[in-house]
Amino acid sequence: MQIDHDSILTLELPYREQLQLHRTVFHGGAGPKVAVVAGIHGDELEGLYVCHRLAAWLEELALTQSDALRGRVELYPALNPLGIDTLQRFVPVFDTDLNRNFPGHREGLLPQRITEAAMRALDGAALVIDIHASNVFLREIPQVRINQESAALLVPLAHQMNIDVIWLHGALTVLEATIAHSLNSRGIPCLVVEMGVGMRITPAFTDQLMTGILRVWRSLGVLAPDLPLADLTHQPLLADDSNVHYLNAETSGLFVPEVEHWTSVRRGQRLGCIVSPHEGSVQSAVCSPVDGVLFTLREYPVVYEGSLMARIMATGSEGVQ
Amino acid sequence: MKPPALLSMTAPLREDFEIAYHDIGSANPSPTVALVAGIHGDELNGVFVLSRLAHFLGGVAAGRHPGRRLDGRAIIIPAVNVLGVNTRNRRWPFDGTDINRMFPGYNAGETTQRIAHAVLELTRPAHYRIDIHSSNLDFEELAQVRLYEPNDGERGTARLFGLPAVIERPMNTIFTSTLGHAWRACGGQNFVLQAGQAGTLQPVHCDRLFRALVTFLWRTGVVSGVALSDEDEEGQYFGVGHTMPLISEHAGLFISRLDVGRWVQAGDVIGQVYDGFAGELRHEIKTPVAGLLSGIRRQPLLFEGDLLARIQTRQAVAEGVDTYLHGQGQ
Repeated sequence: MQIDHDSILTLELPYREQLQLHRTVFHGGAGPKVAVVAGIHGDELEGLYVCHRLAAWLEELALTQSDALRGRVELYPALNPLGIDTLQRFVPVFDTDLNRNFPGHREGLLPQRITEAAMRALDGAALVIDIHASNVFLREIPQVRINQESAALLVPLAHQMNIDVIWLHGALTVLEATIAHSLNSRGIPCLVVEMGVGMRITPAFTDQLMTGILRVWRSLGVLAPDLPLADLTHQPLLADDSNVHYLNAETSGLFVPEVEHWTSVRRGQRLGCIVSPHEGSVQSAVCSPVDGVLFTLREYPVVYEGSLMARIMATGSEGVQ
Repeated sequence: MKPPALLSMTAPLREDFEIAYHDIGSANPSPTVALVAGIHGDELNGVFVLSRLAHFLGGVAAGRHPGRRLDGRAIIIPAVNVLGVNTRNRRWPFDGTDINRMFPGYNAGETTQRIAHAVLELTRPAHYRIDIHSSNLDFEELAQVRLYEPNDGERGTARLFGLPAVIERPMNTIFTSTLGHAWRACGGQNFVLQAGQAGTLQPVHCDRLFRALVTFLWRTGVVSGVALSDEDEEGQYFGVGHTMPLISEHAGLFISRLDVGRWVQAGDVIGQVYDGFAGELRHEIKTPVAGLLSGIRRQPLLFEGDLLARIQTRQAVAEGVDTYLHGQGQ
């Protein structure tokens, strides 16, 4: 196994400095190439930590069982390095969402040059895993989001990812300028993972996802078939447009949850309330519209009218499996 | 009298806030024209001009301008992003979303989806709908009508503003969630006006914009008795493919001394790129084509691939990379 650190793009900054897009490449045998992409949004850090843990695991493998890497692993921990270094979700200066700039253009603006370089580098991959960490407002249980257009290929892979939810989106909601759509439409399978919350890392989620990623890699022939790996510990529930319920704030104030994230809830059960710092009364009680499981929960307390507080997947009368 | 509001909302700590608008000539059953500005809180030319226009039309309606008469009804929203204007923020300040990427909106969705929905519902009944923008913090635009895949009626009507340029551009997937695009499903005639630069207010652009709007309202019969001078040059129409973007191949400090609205010849110097540390001249930017300078970069800090200027050409040129660039101020 050979380990390289290189850069897929170098751009001049206005004053003296350069921007480089770094990756780490683990070369093994002639097996398939896979990649993990993170840090498309500068405030989402969970994927950076996953990259660190995967690098540590692979470095250890290089020492103990180097020939078990049959393919090639590429880690791109920060596609938006300026955003991560300056604590901004979007691409600084350009004030644009990098995940709305794919597939990019070699002679475009900086964000489009980054995405074009990423698309070129990821060409030929057997699987790209794009890790997101929600945003600073909402905490998400580890999940894979898939558009119906790519469901046949991606759902079987997602079932091995050791995640809690697979969320299938209708074809109408496809976001054309995302990395996932751009890769999948070119025949490069891309799984979008959402987990945790912005500006934080959640090590337990990292452990959970690591198990899934390594097992998927082994099933693709990137790792030796006899390499022992941890067993799956999570089986995903299937969410789609028909069973996901959104709870938007009825009024503005402070949202205070009264239940834990990822718990079963009953129809009518109080999940939290919206209060005003100016007075003692409760402005709005937040109740579940269905029996189900709370898979998104607001982490950031301040809400405006309309702010999303929770998402619940209806599970019918049986509750969570 | 308290003006009407298209949306009232609670705020987490402040008092409730609302998005107010002017409804002038409301004796008429349905509005002739809807004018919108300040979807981006940093684009102040449109905010100022629409507030002045509302003041003027309100005066006409009240009979304070002898010989002038209001024959139509105008809906005027000087600023949609009220909180963004007051906190000097282009986007909706709380969650950083761009209201002009939220259309057609949703009245039970996120805050900015609700705002978008309310703006669309208020402006839907109007026959003419006009959304005014001022580029962004980096770029200055000549006052112009911007058309995206217009119909023939819009092509003709666009000239009624008397602005120096009507510029037709290809539709971009990014723009499908804008107000201008959402209006297309509502019928009538829809226009995006661009003038100046965000972040500050440029009186020259504001004056021209104000005159253009009054001219338009006069020519479409909304207001009568307006004496207009003929000082504006004849407006030029530039179809798709008649826009030449100048893209920087270098990073550095960009300086230009040119004003928008002037005609340039092929080979004319547009500006210079300097090394911001060593101070040496790195590159002189020359236009490869002749045409009307419709926009120029005012932000000196320059990345590779940044837009320096746009030239409107009489002959078609390949648009190339410009279709990938984000629309300034939209």
